[in-house]
Formats: sequence, C-alpha cells, structure tokens
Amino acid sequence: MHVILFYDVEVERVQKIHKLMKRYLTWVQNSVFEGEMTEGKMEEMKSELRKKMNPGLDSVIIYKLGDLRYTEREIVGVEKNTTDNLL
Amino acid sequence: MKRNYYLLKNSRIRRKDNTICLEYENGEKKNLPIEDVEAFYLFGEMDLNTKLLNFLSQEKIPLHVFNYYGYYSGSYYPREYLNSGFVLVNQVEAYKNPEKRLEIARELITGASHNILCNLKYYQNRRAGLEGHIEEIEKYKNKLPEVSCIMELMAWEGHIRDRYYESFNDFLDLPEPYKKRVKRPPDNMLNALISFGNSLMYATVLGEIYHTQLNPTISYLHEPGNRRFSLSLDISEVFKPLIVDHVIFKLINTRMLSEKDFDQDANCCYLSENGRKIFIREYDERLSTTIKHRHLKRNVSYRRLIRMECYKIEKTIVGDAEYKAFQAWW
Repeated sequence: MHVILFYDVEVERVQKIHKLMKRYLTWVQNSVFEGEMTEGKMEEMKSELRKKMNPGLDSVIIYKLGDLRYTEREIVGVEKNTTDNLL
Repeated sequence: MKRNYYLLKNSRIRRKDNTICLEYENGEKKNLPIEDVEAFYLFGEMDLNTKLLNFLSQEKIPLHVFNYYGYYSGSYYPREYLNSGFVLVNQVEAYKNPEKRLEIARELITGASHNILCNLKYYQNRRAGLEGHIEEIEKYKNKLPEVSCIMELMAWEGHIRDRYYESFNDFLDLPEPYKKRVKRPPDNMLNALISFGNSLMYATVLGEIYHTQLNPTISYLHEPGNRRFSLSLDISEVFKPLIVDHVIFKLINTRMLSEKDFDQDANCCYLSENGRKIFIREYDERLSTTIKHRHLKRNVSYRRLIRMECYKIEKTIVGDAEYKAFQAWW
C-alpha cells in the first residue's frame, strides 16, 4: 500500500519524529513523507510513533492509497527529493 | 513489498539515525528508509564501514557488489537467521543420492526449456522463421526424460541454449548478427546484455535463498564448487528466460538501447553507465510485475515466484512433495 504522511508536532519533538519516520518512509518535503509499506509495517510504525509523540498536542495524518493506477503525482516547482530506488 | 536499491553513483553509504544515509561526492545527502530495503546492489565506487555491515546484518539485508564492468563480484551475506540442521542434512543427502539429484536437475532444465520455448512462441506470431528453432528445441527437450546422468543433461541444455541464442537473429533487430555466446569479456552488444542480466539475476536469486532455510552452496544441476553460491545458479536457470531475456528483447526491439549505450573496446563490450541505468530500471520493473497465480488465485510478483521456487525445492529435499519447476502458462 502506498502511503503519504504529514506531521505537525511541537518544536521540541520535530527532530524526534523526523528521525523515526525516515526509517520507514522517504522524506519528500518538510514534515511530509511518502512510500510503500505493508499493513504490518504500518502498525509497527504507528505504535512507535505513539511512544514518541504527545497525543494531546501533536498530530499526524496518514493517507493510505491502495492502487496507484488511478493516482497522479504532480510537482510544481522544485522536486526536493525523489523516492526512486535507482540512485 | 520491500524494494531493491541500486546504487550507481559514487558515494559513501553509512548508518545514521538507525537508517541508511548516502553521501555523494558533491556533499549532497540522501536518506533511505531502512524498512523499505530488500537488498542493496552496489555498482558505483562506494565507501562503507563495519558499522554499516553490522547494521545490515541486524536488518537482514544482503548487499551485492558489482565491479567496474558490471560483473558480479560478490555479496555480503548477513548471518543466517533461518538455520535448520534438518534441511541442511536433507539437502546434502539429496545431492548425494544420484537419482534424487538427477530428478531435481532434470526438472530445472525442463522448466528452463519450457520457458525458453514460451518466449520463442510469443515471437513466432510476429516474425517468420522461428518454426525451425522451436521444432529443434522441442526435440532436444523431449530427450530430457531419458537422460541418465548430469553430464548428459548438461549437454542437452547446452544444445538448447545454443539454438536459442542462434534464434535471436530472427526476431531481434540487431545491428550485427549474433554469432555465439562469448563471456569474460563479452564481445558484442547482445553478449554484454546477457552477461549483465545474468549477473543481476544471480544476485536476486541469492537474496531470495537467504530468506529460506536452504543453503546456497549445495546445488543439483551445477556441481557445488568452492567460492560460489551454486544453488543460485541452479534456480536462476528457470527464471532467466522469463526475466532477463524478456528485458533484453524489450530493450532491443523498442530501441531503448542503442550502440551509444555501450563502451566498445578492441575485443570487449560493456554497457555504459547510462545503458546500465536503463537496463536496471527495466529489470527492476520486471521483477515487481505481478501475474495472477493459477493455484494461489492471487497476484504474485516475479520476485515472489523465485522465493516460491526455493520453497518448492525445500519441500522436495525433505520429501514432502515432488519438484515441479515453474513453467509459464501463457
């Protein structure tokens, strides 16, 4: 399943969340990650996320995209990072 | 599903924040999500240290190294994590038992030649002149059930391959006619493509074997020698026509690769860096292409099929089921 994740957290936890997220997904923009993952990995990631964030103040939004066949991705301006696996 | 990462540019690869960080020569950095990595394929000149190797071991990620010419030079095979004395003993016993060994080896070749024929039959409808080759290969294939030793089997396999490569002239738009298979070093475009593709295939299969209980050094068709993972050679035999050859046909007939994508010397020919990039992209796409599996009734990628082949071999050697090599049914 393809995933897009946004986070909005208090300043002191930004680094923490960022470091955790980059293990699972590719950073594409400030506080936005993207990538492919399985249901199981998703649960693992969410449980780690809950440990690191403050559920009263921080917010993380995850979009789960099933099949990318009907999805289009367009970038206006600079592409800050690619999710390519050929580097 | 996790992906393979192919690193072509020179860089330093290291562990950072419990994930992988690439540092290019120009100072640029790139983080790779470790949970998304199935295996690394290193083509560029890379710097790495034991910290990284320890980390890869921990995450069970193999790392395959290719030399300047794109030739497979070795793998970092992390500590085995699916150890099974039971499977190992049976694997050796199956090798020691001439009948059992022949049975597995014969099935591997039967599968491979079926898949070769499958490729040729696809082009038969488009290009004339393939009937002769198909008939001949089918004749060789029919000899397989009668062979009584590995040597004989290898001989028929050689005939099949020769004839198969010869037929390339009749359905590929080649700038120069293909004469014969030359390795180390390859002498023309097609040989270079076959060599490079087979190198990739070999590493991919090894990566799949790593995630099973099989020992990659004990093989059935190829003689288990020293210093190589010969089971990987055995299994890749079945998939080469479906994956590598398919990629080659596509790249040549749609003219995605041309002479300028090769570095030609007096007596050798290699893919250039750009050519390699084009090849790898197609190869990776082919690996992740899914087909609807007849028995499982769900979509399965080609890479998954390789893993399933390993499981089938495992079942055979422990005596659970008879080995039937994968045969394309389309």
